[in-house]
Amino acid sequence: MMRSPGAARTWRDAKNVAFITLDTLFWSKKTIFVAIVSLLIIGLAVFGRLILSYHWVNAPFTPAQVFGTLMSTAVVHFLVVFVTLFYGTALISEEVEGKTITYLFTRPVSKAVVMLGKYLALLWVSALLVVPAIVLSYLVLYVGADMRPFMQDVGLLAKDMGIVFLALLAYGSLFGLIGAWFKHSILAGLVYAFGWEGIVSYLPGFTRKLTITHYIQSIFPHENTAGAIAMLIGRRTEPAEAVVTLVLMAVFFSATACLMVREKEYVLEQ
Amino acid sequence: MTGILAARNLSKWYGQVIAVNNVGFTLGAGVTGLLGPNGAGKSSLMKLITGQLRPSQGEITVFGERAWNNPGLFRRIGFCPEQDSFYERMTGAEFLQALLRLNGYGEAEVRRRAQDALALVALADARDKKIAAYSKGMRQRIKLAQAIAHDPEVLVLDEPLAGMDPVGRHETIRLVRRWGREGKCVIVSSHILHEVEAMTSNILLMHNGEVLAEGDVHQIRDLIDKHPHNIYIRCSDARRLAAALVGFDDVVGIRFHPEGDAVTVESRRPDDFYRRLPELMLEAGLELEEITSPDDNLQAVFHYLVK
Repeated sequence: MMRSPGAARTWRDAKNVAFITLDTLFWSKKTIFVAIVSLLIIGLAVFGRLILSYHWVNAPFTPAQVFGTLMSTAVVHFLVVFVTLFYGTALISEEVEGKTITYLFTRPVSKAVVMLGKYLALLWVSALLVVPAIVLSYLVLYVGADMRPFMQDVGLLAKDMGIVFLALLAYGSLFGLIGAWFKHSILAGLVYAFGWEGIVSYLPGFTRKLTITHYIQSIFPHENTAGAIAMLIGRRTEPAEAVVTLVLMAVFFSATACLMVREKEYVLEQ
Repeated sequence: MTGILAARNLSKWYGQVIAVNNVGFTLGAGVTGLLGPNGAGKSSLMKLITGQLRPSQGEITVFGERAWNNPGLFRRIGFCPEQDSFYERMTGAEFLQALLRLNGYGEAEVRRRAQDALALVALADARDKKIAAYSKGMRQRIKLAQAIAHDPEVLVLDEPLAGMDPVGRHETIRLVRRWGREGKCVIVSSHILHEVEAMTSNILLMHNGEVLAEGDVHQIRDLIDKHPHNIYIRCSDARRLAAALVGFDDVVGIRFHPEGDAVTVESRRPDDFYRRLPELMLEAGLELEEITSPDDNLQAVFHYLVK
């Protein structure tokens, strides 16, 4: 399918904005914090490996179980949320506070495309920080004399990566929107991530469908405590429906963020 | 004058604060100085011109198109902001190239234009140095470079001389005058009269969000000269200096300070006064220790115009 010149120009402009944003996002203090959290996750994987190797727990324990627990608790519900919260809420607000946004808003590029470019940068930098932690954890848990479990569960790793990507898309777009909307966006993001999601996703009835985490739990291939509790209070959403919902959420939140940035007037403090 | 830029009943307010109050003007090619004290509304007006702010009332057009939310106009507009903010980790060349890519140029054109702009503001040698390591004057110049790199027809420069060394100031003034002669519409803001005077004789005088006067800078200069101008002088013998100054016909008042070694002189023609003073000091054998003007020239004119 041929792309229209408009679509090609939009992609080119978004990519150029993303390159400018990547530099400021990556080389910030947030990255140090996220790197520490990523290292902690790898540390947990090392701890899990020690448990497996030295049989510290007298229960049947497999690398898949340790990896699944790590993914469901530490990666998806903690690292992904933190990365997207920290970077997503800063996308616009940090450049407004730093007053560099003027350089982007005084170019022949729609402000909506500027936001789109920033969202792309968020996905790149988040993936750059989350994916190595997942892959290294997998290697730590599986590499050994017997490589059969490693090969058997590679599909599981690929599926987890896909889910993490969907989670980055959905959380990133939501926190990007919050960042474009609110002045104290990090606070609003924290309230959503650890207030709303933490409570509502465990309530019976329809309201839990108003959280991102519900749809992620619905497609998660590992058994975990959060998933078990969710199962007790209600059924999971069908996997295909959950995937489509997560994609639609990402599209809706990012499109709303783009429109908001286009229409909003950012008054820089003198 | 052909109107490139036009404002009609233009106002901008933030809550209860009025930044720009019912302003109207038409600007064509050439340099226009936007003159006014801090807080007069110059920066807000410039942000309205460059479509960064939405008018609360009235409208502002550039080439007949509304400025707000009109990114296409930025192919023809260059903006040099007042704030000292940058992507600090970038080098000067990277900064210009990154912004030029947003103008839609191909890579070869991006590099050529960045190089030309760096050379124009005398930063070619510092092109690969990180902006974080630039001096204040260099930062001002790279800000100017990003505004002109795409060769816009309209240039909006917010306090471009702030923080520049004398050589940089001289060079920037020369460039601004050249762009004006080349037919660009250049709007340059400052709160210092002689800076604007060096660039253009055409001014918009702003105070409290309103345009108080529009036209030739020499008329403003005349107003200043008609208004008594305070000059503080500290010297080896203030009483002897006062006695000598009494004979000047432009001096309309002399006030002694409690410390005894200083006087404040009120002159109606400060330029004449400054010209004659060194000769008088020499003849009287007085040593000059300090000379300052506590009066902001413009502030005095604004009071005069408002009255």
